[in-house]
Amino acid sequence: MERYQRRVVGVALAVVHNQDDAIELAQETFIRAFENLAKFESRSSFSTWLYRIAANLAIDFWRREGRHVVLHGEDAENEIGKMPTSQGDSFKEVSRSELSARLKQALEELTPEHRAVILLREVEGMSYDEISDVLQCPRGTVMSRLHYARTHLRNILKDVSGS
Amino acid sequence: MAECGEIGMMLGAFEDSELEPNEMQEVAFHLARCESCAAVLADYSTLGRDLRSIAAEPSLAGFSSAVIARVDRLPQPVLARLARFLRRQADAVGSGFAWGGAVAAVAVVTIILMTPYAEQFANRGPHSTTSIANTGQEASAGANQVAQAAASEPTMADNDSHADISRLESENHSVAVWSEPRRDTTVIWLPDQP
Repeated sequence: MERYQRRVVGVALAVVHNQDDAIELAQETFIRAFENLAKFESRSSFSTWLYRIAANLAIDFWRREGRHVVLHGEDAENEIGKMPTSQGDSFKEVSRSELSARLKQALEELTPEHRAVILLREVEGMSYDEISDVLQCPRGTVMSRLHYARTHLRNILKDVSGS
Repeated sequence: MAECGEIGMMLGAFEDSELEPNEMQEVAFHLARCESCAAVLADYSTLGRDLRSIAAEPSLAGFSSAVIARVDRLPQPVLARLARFLRRQADAVGSGFAWGGAVAAVAVVTIILMTPYAEQFANRGPHSTTSIANTGQEASAGANQVAQAAASEPTMADNDSHADISRLESENHSVAVWSEPRRDTTVIWLPDQP
């Protein structure tokens, strides 16, 4: 359990973005895994199976809690087109504390699917294929969600630096 | 620049090294001559670092024990409970056999080790008779005593009809032999060798 617990919490945290909820969901993940161990098939690695349970539980939790309007498929992708493009300027000059606070807020504004993708990539260091396995979506969807999340976060941070 | 939109879709994957080699090359060529896309790429890189820097590291102290406690509280299926019960019974029987075997082994070893002493102890008593004395003056003195004892053994011989002196060396008074058939014992007193 010690071997996987940190990353299981990380996966849950990537979706729900709340430590207490993430730890609770991670515990639930191990219990579900224990209960369904007989159903585990070696088509994927054990760790991927475990992270998948964590991601599913976390996404279900997020939807059940109703904290966010979730955009799916084309709806989400269309959001990219609505965003102002502010290429060219860097947000290096924004103060670190302000940037950190705004970044956390910006993450909250993302859908759990988009937040999960970018945090699994940037914080957990998962490859696109791993993310695809864990979130059970095609690799192309991982790429497009990442693009959306990065563009969204960058634009918000640009606004902070602009103001 | 016309192709910035297309390249822009690949910038993140380029940053993550998740593009095909030819696509990596294509983006790299574009970045070499497009400052705006290069700035976006730099922002993505900064964004990644910022996300890692604000990532919380939750305390996992007690995590495992909490999970195990929750697992222990789970209701168990009947078959699982039955299997656990049978396993416990088997363990108990197995440990019983193990203890019994250990006790039996200790008993056997004890008997083997103690048997000679037990026989000796049984043969000891008010009339201990099995001994070979060959210790200097004590031997001759003992032989004399034996000779005297043999001669004056009527107490034992009288009391024990099966005990009799089988032989007494008359020529060499320092050697004495007698037997006690009832106790299956032969006593020999030997003189010191010069």
